[in-house]
Amino acid sequence: MQTRKRQMDHSTTINIPGIKKRGRRTLIYLILLLFSIVNGYPIIWMVMNSFKSSQEFSLNPFGLPIDWIFTNFREAWFTANIGTFFFNSIFIGLTAVLIAVITGGLAAFFLSRFDFKGKKYLYGFLVVGLLIPIHSTLVPMYILMQNLGMLNTYWALIFPYVAFNLPITIFLLTSFMSTFPKEIEESAIMDGAGVFRIFWSIMLPMTKPAIATAVVINFINNWNEFAFALVLISDEALQTLPLGLANFAGAYTTNYPAQMAGLTIVLIPTIIFYLVMEKQIVEGMTQGAVKG
Amino acid sequence: MLISAPFIIVNVNGYYDGSGYVHLLNSPWKIAIGLLPPLLIYLIFSIIPIFISFYYSFMSWDGFADMQFIGLNNYIEAFKDSTFWRSVKNNILVVLASVIGQISIGLTLALLLNQKLSGGKFFRTIGFLPVVISTVVISITWKMIYNSEDGMLNNFLGIIHLDFLARNWLGNPETAMYAILITIIWQFVGLYFIIFLSALQTVPKEMLEAAVLDGASEIQKTFYITVPAIKNVILVSIVLCISGSLKTFDLIYVMTNGGPAHSTEVMATYMYHETFSGLNYGYGSTISVLIFVFSLILVFITTKIIRIRQD
Repeated sequence: MQTRKRQMDHSTTINIPGIKKRGRRTLIYLILLLFSIVNGYPIIWMVMNSFKSSQEFSLNPFGLPIDWIFTNFREAWFTANIGTFFFNSIFIGLTAVLIAVITGGLAAFFLSRFDFKGKKYLYGFLVVGLLIPIHSTLVPMYILMQNLGMLNTYWALIFPYVAFNLPITIFLLTSFMSTFPKEIEESAIMDGAGVFRIFWSIMLPMTKPAIATAVVINFINNWNEFAFALVLISDEALQTLPLGLANFAGAYTTNYPAQMAGLTIVLIPTIIFYLVMEKQIVEGMTQGAVKG
Repeated sequence: MLISAPFIIVNVNGYYDGSGYVHLLNSPWKIAIGLLPPLLIYLIFSIIPIFISFYYSFMSWDGFADMQFIGLNNYIEAFKDSTFWRSVKNNILVVLASVIGQISIGLTLALLLNQKLSGGKFFRTIGFLPVVISTVVISITWKMIYNSEDGMLNNFLGIIHLDFLARNWLGNPETAMYAILITIIWQFVGLYFIIFLSALQTVPKEMLEAAVLDGASEIQKTFYITVPAIKNVILVSIVLCISGSLKTFDLIYVMTNGGPAHSTEVMATYMYHETFSGLNYGYGSTISVLIFVFSLILVFITTKIIRIRQD
């Protein structure tokens, strides 16, 4: 009781002069600033040092480069085959996104706009995949791909990427499509449009914001995926960026700036993509929790 | 572009019941066409592998020669295997560190930033950045930070004259796991920070204003109104955090590969090593079944606890 009273007194003193309030604000800013430094500096440190020579890196590890050099990037690009990895990552990532969003979108359309037996169970079954620990399937996936003859092909990654992104895709699109009023299809049906035409010409355009979110989340997941690539792809010509980078870093342990240049080449597009699509990325990654 | 031709309308009659509700009871094959492709991909590449690993977990198999059925032997071996138990323990450590570190730091920061500060956008953008970056990039960067010679951490300790604390963080079995836990917390704090921040926007302002009129202090407002108002989001985040931290593999594979001396092994890396380095497919499958069961139990228990708390 007494502590409570004291706290209340405390609050009135804060509210009157505004000086203590300013002090508290400064403290909050300091904490948030510290957080930003801890969060951002390791990344800045890495990017900065990729422009230094090995000697400068060991003499001046914390500051901006005095001599900006670009040889590390040339070395990383050519020895690590980053061009090939880039192509593979983009090709595999985009193909998987396309399949996941079209098939997932169609499923979401039927799950949200129609009524049929077992609909709830089907939806639950598809969405529960969100909780499957992906890596518990690494070994069986390898055996499965071996039996299907898909090891060391693009499909070895495309199919698992689609499968593991379908739950979040269906979740995002179904919850968005369920919010449309029913009248929307009614007039289309009166006009004589078939189901798939309604999906293609009415539903998809209306679902654009959610589709953008789904595409971005799918692509980021695929772009960053490592474990399946490690297990299912051994041919260097088919490796994706995370796998290629890990191998490159493993082989270049002594030359830090070259390693950092390799990382920076991969990081810059990610950051640009993030800054441009921040809204969709954040939405896609947090919606599951906020909407329960 | 809608085409209104008479023959299409005839087709359409089958699934428009005139009550304002559209259904497809009369043409189930259209539902099938729509639902089969995703369902098939999902079944084959997400659900069936779980059954495959169940099947192989009863076998002794090196991946090449003939398989041999050995019943529950792999499971018995796992229960006696001290390295396996160590990996379970490390997995639990990862879950605990993530739940405690990420959720509490994320919540604190979100509550701080929620006080109508200018520059909020900046803190959000920087805060979320590590979540977007590939785990491989993060792992290699942190491996360099922890490096004993040119690492940022030891350099920094040198600058502030704490050289005696400098060590080979990842090379020492005593410190390696803790170093990894810090990186794991760092990687995902931003996710929960942003989740809580957007949940806080939904707290009704009237409630807070009423509390101010009643003379509540900032701290009272926070603990008696704001936090209870987003309780559900916090609980869901805990489930997400647990299932997310059970997926840890890349980070440890790249940073320490489970070493030194298995001190940072988690179940997924141990499964990988047993299968692909030890060529022990049967045993690897057993571990993968155990990962699945372990995760299910953990998620199930937390969901149960949360249900009870919500009621």
